[in-house]
Amino acid sequence: MKATTRLRELLARGQTLFVPGCYNALSARILEHVGFPAVYMTGYGTSLALLGMPDAGLATMTEMHMNARYIANAVKVPVVADADNGYGNAINVIRTVREYVQTGVAAIHVEDQVIPKRCGHVAGRRVIPIEEAVGKIRAADTARRETDPDFVLIARTDARGAHSGSLDEAVRRARAYLDAGADLAFVEGPTSVEEVTRVCREIKGKVFYNMTGVSPRFTLEEMNQLGIAVAITPGSTFRVTMQAVYDYAVALRDRGPVAERDFNDTFQRHPLANVHGFAGFDQIQRWESEFLPPEELEKYENSVGYRPPGSPKTT
Amino acid sequence: MGAFEEPPSPRTLEGRPGKAGTSLETVVSEEAKMRATTRLRSMLEAPGIIVAPGAYDGFSARLVEAAGFRCVYMTGAGTAASHLGQPDLGLATLTEMATNAGHLAACVSLPVIADADTGYGNALNVVRTVREYERAGVAGCHFEDQVAPKKCGHIAGKQVIPASEFAQKIRAAAEYRTDSDFVIIARTDARAVTSLDDAIERGNRYHEAGADVIFVEAPQTEDEIHRVAREIKAPLLMNQVPGGRTPVVKTAELERLGFKIVIHPTVCMEAAIPAMEAALRRLKDTGTDFHDGPTLSPLDIFKKVGFDWWHEIEEKYRS
Repeated sequence: MKATTRLRELLARGQTLFVPGCYNALSARILEHVGFPAVYMTGYGTSLALLGMPDAGLATMTEMHMNARYIANAVKVPVVADADNGYGNAINVIRTVREYVQTGVAAIHVEDQVIPKRCGHVAGRRVIPIEEAVGKIRAADTARRETDPDFVLIARTDARGAHSGSLDEAVRRARAYLDAGADLAFVEGPTSVEEVTRVCREIKGKVFYNMTGVSPRFTLEEMNQLGIAVAITPGSTFRVTMQAVYDYAVALRDRGPVAERDFNDTFQRHPLANVHGFAGFDQIQRWESEFLPPEELEKYENSVGYRPPGSPKTT
Repeated sequence: MGAFEEPPSPRTLEGRPGKAGTSLETVVSEEAKMRATTRLRSMLEAPGIIVAPGAYDGFSARLVEAAGFRCVYMTGAGTAASHLGQPDLGLATLTEMATNAGHLAACVSLPVIADADTGYGNALNVVRTVREYERAGVAGCHFEDQVAPKKCGHIAGKQVIPASEFAQKIRAAAEYRTDSDFVIIARTDARAVTSLDDAIERGNRYHEAGADVIFVEAPQTEDEIHRVAREIKAPLLMNQVPGGRTPVVKTAELERLGFKIVIHPTVCMEAAIPAMEAALRRLKDTGTDFHDGPTLSPLDIFKKVGFDWWHEIEEKYRS
């Protein structure tokens, strides 16, 4: 089944679909491995992990959809991807939708910020006029109908937290974007439970909720009661990575190379301890057995290192 | 890119200057061993006008070099047309433009002046663009004061950002280049939007902000070209697009007026398109055999893109 069709099935269940964030193919694979039915590609994390740069509109469309492609190729579950402001006007949005459809992701969100955009939980944002944004959503809707009608289009408005913005304006825009053809409405950055409640009550359509930054945290049950269709936690995955890498780097610095040995000892008891297996070497060995001449497998004999199950033993 | 960024060692290339179609082999002079940025800068300081024909891919850049030009220009319109099959409407991303510029810079030894559109955003994006183009091996690039997404300079419907905002973008570009020889060219599209007076004022302002060269896009008469030359106190670039809004002026005349660079962005593309169309029409009409004119063998084609140079290496390291 196509990833887009699969995502539409998940959305049709009528319960909150909780989609944790990944920032590269590895983190996407781990999320899939533990059982999440869909993953979300964060633009913030892409910018930081791929470029080492802040989410300030510095990542190009090419870099964003390349990362989306790597992620979509690495997992079987549908990928929801950040497409920023569509990288230009309505014309650019058409190209953006086509490029993202080609990557194999199942959904994107397009926002109404000016160019260059910035993270939705950082001050100093500005939005384009609603009429122009509606044109961009209409363009996106047309482009996906022409390429893959199941491709899910999420319209994001930054009007709540933008310069001189308000929740009223954000709700007005979200409604207009749904009317323009978006499947889900994404009001970025509501700051209280009351605001989220208003968003869910006043928008007649599927609500996409970004549970991060300045916005309140809910349990899955609470989000179901509020009627949230999709909820993402975009940044926590890369922050977990940052914390782990930082702590390890400090240990290496302060205690020297012995910290690597200690980590290795601890990691042996971790569910992902079989890194080579997780990476896919077992699969490579199975393919080798199936498709290569038998004498090719002789290379495993008397060779040191990880040995996939079923590979010839040391003689 | 790696090995391609450095000029080939002169030891292996001695005695083979200017061999047709093998542009890497022409890199023998001391001048050619300098960084491309430094070479372009010394060309700007030396007398004479720099003629930079427009290339849109590695092949056309090779042909520009083989024809004996000293500089090559990467056209953004040509990049969008040839790589994306799309018009010049701000659809090409920084990544795509820098990648193409890198291909050009890697296959010729000439300095490459590349189109960098609006810098793909605000001053921050401009800084990233300069860094990416520097790493691509480009010698200089031009930024324009259009609203993003931009439009071709000779198409209606352009808009410009305030001069003060663009001056800051130029300042950022100049201050954050890592190679002080990297040439920053500021282009103003104001002639078609506001007035020639505004374009001239902007040109002088952008030069003060740190642009090395000023490019007034699409002056509409010879008189306007004369005014640009007279009233802008900076090295000047002239864009010559036959069929565009600017009258065609001979290079010697541009040089006499004081222009320092003339680019011909469409020269390769406008030659290639009818040639390809004619060849395809012949193939369609004749069914199989369209070789009714002089033909190039595969080896002839490879020789246009450096075959001899590679073959020499292949022979040398044969095991």
